[in-house]
Amino acid sequence: MKTENRLEQIADLLLEIASILMVSGANTNRVDVNIDRFASVLHCESYSLISQKTMILTVIDTETKENYTKVKNLPSHKINFTIISAISKASWNALDEDWSLSKISQEIETIKAQKRYSRLVVLLAVSFSGAGFCKIFGGDYYNLALAFVSTFFGLLMLQTAHKREFNTYISVFLASLTASLLASLGVYFNLGTQPEATLATSILFLVPGVALINSFTDLLDKNVLNGMVRFSNGIMTVLAIALGLFVAMLIFQLK
Amino acid sequence: MIATILELLEVSVWAGIAAVGFGILFNIPKKAILTVFFLGFGAGLIKFVLLHFEVNIVLASLIAASFVGVLSLPLAHGIHQPPVVFSIPAVIPMIPGFYAYETVLSIMSFTFSEKNDSKRLIFMEDIFSNGFTMLFILISLTIGVSLPLLLLRKHTVKRVDLR
Repeated sequence: MKTENRLEQIADLLLEIASILMVSGANTNRVDVNIDRFASVLHCESYSLISQKTMILTVIDTETKENYTKVKNLPSHKINFTIISAISKASWNALDEDWSLSKISQEIETIKAQKRYSRLVVLLAVSFSGAGFCKIFGGDYYNLALAFVSTFFGLLMLQTAHKREFNTYISVFLASLTASLLASLGVYFNLGTQPEATLATSILFLVPGVALINSFTDLLDKNVLNGMVRFSNGIMTVLAIALGLFVAMLIFQLK
Repeated sequence: MIATILELLEVSVWAGIAAVGFGILFNIPKKAILTVFFLGFGAGLIKFVLLHFEVNIVLASLIAASFVGVLSLPLAHGIHQPPVVFSIPAVIPMIPGFYAYETVLSIMSFTFSEKNDSKRLIFMEDIFSNGFTMLFILISLTIGVSLPLLLLRKHTVKRVDLR
C-alpha cells in the first residue's frame, strides 16, 4: 500500500514536470529525456504518451515491478525558456546528487514560482525587434518608428485578448489587424522611403517561430504526431495573421 | 566600400536587437541575453554578407542558421543552458516575413482585384516564387538550427548510458 502511494506521488511529479516543459515550448524529445532522468533518480522506469493536450504516463518501480498509470490534461501553452533551462539544470543536479522525491518537488515549486519579465519590458523589447525587422527589410528611421508603434499596440492587443481568454487564433487575428492597420497608415500617407517594409514587418512578432522549429525537430526525431500537430498549429496561426493583414489592406484599399 | 561595411554592420546590429526582443518574449534567462544578441548579430552579418555577394537567400539562411546551430553547442556548455534557449531566438530575425507578405499580397490581387488574364498569370508566378522561397527558407532555418542539436543529443545520451 505504501509503495503504491509513493508511485502515485512519483507519477504526479513526473506528469507535472512533463506538462510544464511541454507548455513552455520544449520539443517532445527534450520532455522525454528530462522525464527519464528524473525517473532514474527515483529508481523508476517511466513510459509516456505525450501529446499537445493530454499526457499518459506509467511509472514502474525497478525493484518491485509495481506500476502506476496516470493521465493529465495540459494547461494552455505559454513559451518560457527560463523554465526549460532551469528544469534541465535541476535534472542533472538531481542525477549527480541523488535527490529525494521531496527535494525534487520542492525544486519544481521554486522553478514554477519564478517571475517572467514584466509586461512593459516585454512590450518594449518586442517593439524594438519590430523596428529591427523593419531595418532588415530596408526601412529608414521613419519606417522604423512606425513599425515600433504598430508592434507595440499589436502586442498590447494580443496580451489583452489573452487575458480575457479569447480563442488563440482570434487573439492573433485581432493583434495582426491592429498592427497592420497602424502600419497601413504609413503606406496610405506614404511616410518614409519604404512604407511597405513597415507593413510587412509590423506583424512579424506574431510568427509562430517556436512552434514551426519544434515541429521540424519533432519530425526529425520521428515524433510524427506531435510534429504534425505543432505544424498545423503554426499554419493556423499564420492564416490568422494573414487574415488580419488582408482585412487591413482591404480597408485601406492597398494593392 | 567602408560605407557598405558600416551598413552591413548596422543592419546586423538590428538583427541582434530583434533576436533579443524575441528572447525576452520567450522569457529567456537573463544570463543568456548577451549570447542571444551576439548569435543574432553574427547570423545576421553572415546572411547579409552572403546576400551582398549575391548568394541565393535560401542558401544564405541555411549557412547562417547552421552557424547558430553549431555555435550553440559549445556555448551551451559554457553558460550551462540548453542550446534551444538561445538558438531559437537567434534565428527568428531570419524568418522570411517579407516573402510571406508578398505571397499574401499576390494571392489577394489574384483573387479579388485583377480580371485581366495576362496580369493574373504574373500574379500566379509571384505566388509560387515567393511562397516556395518562404517555405524553403523556413525549412533551411529549422534544419540549420536543429540538425547540430540532434547530433549532439546522441552524444549526451551515450554519456548517460555509460554512467
